[in-house]
Amino acid sequence: MPETEVRLLPADDASWRLESYLREGGYKALRRVLTSMAPADVVTEVRRAGLRGRGGAGFPAGAKWGFVPQAAAGPRYLCVNADEGEPGTFKDRLVLWRSPHALVEGIGITAFAVGIPKAFIYVRGEYAHISERLETAIAEARTAGFLGPRILGSDFGLDVVVHPGAGAYICGEETALLESLEGRRGQPRLKPPFPAAVGLFRSPTVINNVETLASVPQILLHGADWFVGRGLPKDGGTRLFGISGAVRRPGVYELPVGTPLRAIIEDHAGGLPEGRRIKAVVPGGLSAPVLKPEELDLPMDVDSLAKAGSMLGSAGIVVIPDGTPMLDVLHVMARFYAHESCGKCTPCRIGTAWILKIVERLKRAGGGPADLDLIIALAGGIKGRTLCPFGDGAALPIQALVTKFRGELEEAVAR
Amino acid sequence: MSEPRRVRLTIDGRTVEADAGTNVLKASEAAGIDIPHFCYHPGLEIEGSCRMCLVEIEGLPKLELSCSTLVREGLVVRTSTERVRSARKDVLEFLLAEHPLDCPICDKAGECLLQDDYDRHGRYASRSIETRERREKKLPIGRRLILDRERCVLCSRCVRFLRQVTRTGELGVFERAVRSEVGLVEDRPVDNNYSGNLVDICPVGAITAEDFRFRTRAWFLTRKPTVCPHCGRGCAVFIESVSGYPLKRSDSRVYRVTARENPAVNGHWICDLGRDGRHDIDDGRTAGLAGKGRELPGWTWPAALARVGEAIRALPAPDRRARLAVVLNSRMTCEELALAKSLFVRGLGLDRIYFADAKPGAGDRLLLTPERVPNARGVLEAGFDPRLPGLHELAASKVALIFGTGLAAHFPEEALAEVLAEIPEKHIFSSHATPLDRLADTVIPTAVPAEKSGTYINVEGLRQTFAQALRPCPGVVTEGDILSGLADRLAIDAGRDDAR
Amino acid sequence: MTYAPSPAALRKIEDAIAPYPEPAAAVLPVLHILQGESGFISREAEDWVAAKLSVDPIRVREILSFYTMFRTVPGGKHTLRVCRNLSCHLAGADDILAFIGDRLGIASGGTTPDGLFSLVTAECLGNCDHAPCLQVDGIDHGPISRESVAALIEELKAHA
Repeated sequence: MPETEVRLLPADDASWRLESYLREGGYKALRRVLTSMAPADVVTEVRRAGLRGRGGAGFPAGAKWGFVPQAAAGPRYLCVNADEGEPGTFKDRLVLWRSPHALVEGIGITAFAVGIPKAFIYVRGEYAHISERLETAIAEARTAGFLGPRILGSDFGLDVVVHPGAGAYICGEETALLESLEGRRGQPRLKPPFPAAVGLFRSPTVINNVETLASVPQILLHGADWFVGRGLPKDGGTRLFGISGAVRRPGVYELPVGTPLRAIIEDHAGGLPEGRRIKAVVPGGLSAPVLKPEELDLPMDVDSLAKAGSMLGSAGIVVIPDGTPMLDVLHVMARFYAHESCGKCTPCRIGTAWILKIVERLKRAGGGPADLDLIIALAGGIKGRTLCPFGDGAALPIQALVTKFRGELEEAVAR
Repeated sequence: MSEPRRVRLTIDGRTVEADAGTNVLKASEAAGIDIPHFCYHPGLEIEGSCRMCLVEIEGLPKLELSCSTLVREGLVVRTSTERVRSARKDVLEFLLAEHPLDCPICDKAGECLLQDDYDRHGRYASRSIETRERREKKLPIGRRLILDRERCVLCSRCVRFLRQVTRTGELGVFERAVRSEVGLVEDRPVDNNYSGNLVDICPVGAITAEDFRFRTRAWFLTRKPTVCPHCGRGCAVFIESVSGYPLKRSDSRVYRVTARENPAVNGHWICDLGRDGRHDIDDGRTAGLAGKGRELPGWTWPAALARVGEAIRALPAPDRRARLAVVLNSRMTCEELALAKSLFVRGLGLDRIYFADAKPGAGDRLLLTPERVPNARGVLEAGFDPRLPGLHELAASKVALIFGTGLAAHFPEEALAEVLAEIPEKHIFSSHATPLDRLADTVIPTAVPAEKSGTYINVEGLRQTFAQALRPCPGVVTEGDILSGLADRLAIDAGRDDAR
Repeated sequence: MTYAPSPAALRKIEDAIAPYPEPAAAVLPVLHILQGESGFISREAEDWVAAKLSVDPIRVREILSFYTMFRTVPGGKHTLRVCRNLSCHLAGADDILAFIGDRLGIASGGTTPDGLFSLVTAECLGNCDHAPCLQVDGIDHGPISRESVAALIEELKAHA
């Protein structure tokens, strides 16, 4: 098969079953790994491939796996973060729906690499319908011997369990996910200790995003160099860029890491409808600070977005067209964070609610520059002070929006 | 157990030594530097949610929690830079934006961490003009405790205490985001013997005790340390009393008993039995000097004691052993017991001393011991063989000296009355009134443990000396005073320690 | 009468609890199974779950109030979940939400008097390329319009 044809995501959802997956070369990587590689070698390969987490944080996957103490006895777990909830993001849904076996195979390889016998897939509650297909794929894999006690005749055994969430964005944060999986409210834990040392049920745990894991088979099949070649040296491979909003062809596009943002918007997603212009772009999910039209000449990779004062995050691009009142966008933002705050720590619990109250008042009764200053200041009181990254995820985009669209907002609230 | 390793770190420019494994907040406090906090409590697991204790740690870009950062050799900590001050102000401003202006009616005023912290670390002009969340303000949660959800700062100390210390878990946190609130399941209210600690540990006035609500102000209370006498544990407590302020006679002197930290005995907690013991201090006290059930105004206790001395002297020496019955109690201090030994055993030659105490009860896994007396070990160490008198033994006596109210716990009132009727001379020295008082020849009111000083030996053999925490009511004397007074009158050298 | 799930649900519940080292961890899957059967979690069900998983009842209460997908009072036969977040907002979610509310005569969070429909709002259902998004009984629909939603409602009413 030509290298360029290697795709994580099939074009439709007709080839998700084991039969199709096998025909396309599925589970060859797992076989290779189990028959001819040592776990440490797998970790090295993934590290060399520059695979960065595709959940939002962008942390190098190989490095994360290396944090699990090799000699630690006792249980170990792999948690798959399928709690996709970052607004503007819908790629993991498609992996689960169109290519669940890529995920299962990725889980298998990862579990082997870190010596983990049990994996839990935490699927957001709203994806219950989708996870039915995932369960089927898992059952298929078990029947075919790709999961279970002695996989492909090796000494390695793995059990995979699908665990439903129940409507809480915060459970996408890795330690909140662990809390939720253990049967408690999804409130993040203090770090240290880190999950690699003390995680699920107090055991060493690796937590990875769906797309991250689903990308692993490619690496082991075609090699780290190949993967790096598809993307960038420290940020290898292709990624699933989701794009929605005012574009002609919203959807998920599997493109090399480093693809220019403009190319995704204009070429792949077909640009905006006739006569419409870009007003703003959210580049990586709602928590990624908004970019103005003049800021869009960016390669879409973790480091470039960070340098531009935003983030690649979950690579969920939302194109906001001209004519959109930014006060309303601010409202959507403020409402989201106020609703999804877990409530554990002071700045986030009260700060997000306070900001929403101000925005609601501004919409209802107008206000002035001092109100906008206050929003920025309150976001500043949240930034860097919270127990988990949700705080920054709320503060930074709110500050960016209010700062970059200050003029329009001042006009909108002046009455 | 080996000594913990010591590390040296720098806090605000000063070199400080601390045990490895200590958190920066504790190490700072030990060095005299207070770091404000809400959720942190040394008796509970770290929570890290209030974000008030953030400090600068050199080498780290963000502010870090001092409650969860452990000391390390060479750590450099700054607790009052501009960044830290600003972070504290912000936390306070957030908390106060959702906090009711209840100070004028809140019992916690004067001992509220939010007030104290605003005073020391706030002092900003509030920027909040939005409407606060309105919540339930008077939710009974069990054990006569009231929860005010508007005041609650969600430090979760109460929830953690009930999960980690009592392991009864009656409280939880419901909802999320700003709607988060402490709550419980209706038919499972707080119901354990440590519920009173919830009021102590709540940093604000969210959890209050019905017993204490609206009765006084924290700054009117005088706080004195002593040892709880209601079981054998000997927990460290504070007696908090008001004497004369406001300038009216109040219904009680003692407003509350609170926990005092003692790592060797009770850690940070005391039990409700001990807390409720405050009623023991003020309620049902022996009214005054009496004889044969009548108040005897103008009679002083030395005169009454003289009469007791007469009665004893009137017994021929060979008869004393058989005819002088002495009943002591295990609330007496070691010093008082020594006096009793000198007086009755060495001085008067008695070979049997009786003890009548409150009956034992169920102990628990935390502090409460089955024995409900504070000095059972002291009694043994003094060489007594404590046993309850038989009714026939009492009836056979000619002079009975009864210290305390313990007999009533073991014998029915009518039986005791019958017995007392047969004893020619019976004298009662007790802190609390009983129906037998009307039958006694003399009744001298004695002090409760909070009103005296002395030493108790607790259930683990630990000697604890305590000072008087409360001035006795007029006319009340200690058992020690009575014993040495008797010794004087009988010209017996009792070698009394001055423990008054 | 003591509360008990149906035999079918009970079997699913036993299967759900089995893979966890601690039964308490199965609380979310178990609640989903019970809500799938009766549409909401009653007080009796709450207590049953607590006993089944060897946890204090308050822990179940905490879960029910923290996570948005559980109901503690009966809802409508059909749950209409409308996303209000960014992409759907840009595609007119506010208008759709108001339209549905008017059509059904209820506010968001409410249930129609005939017990047929509950209307709830959601934050990003992960279907942004089909904005505006609506989930009906867990099945995704989108992009929806006033017309398509009206037709959907009529169809559901017809099969009531």
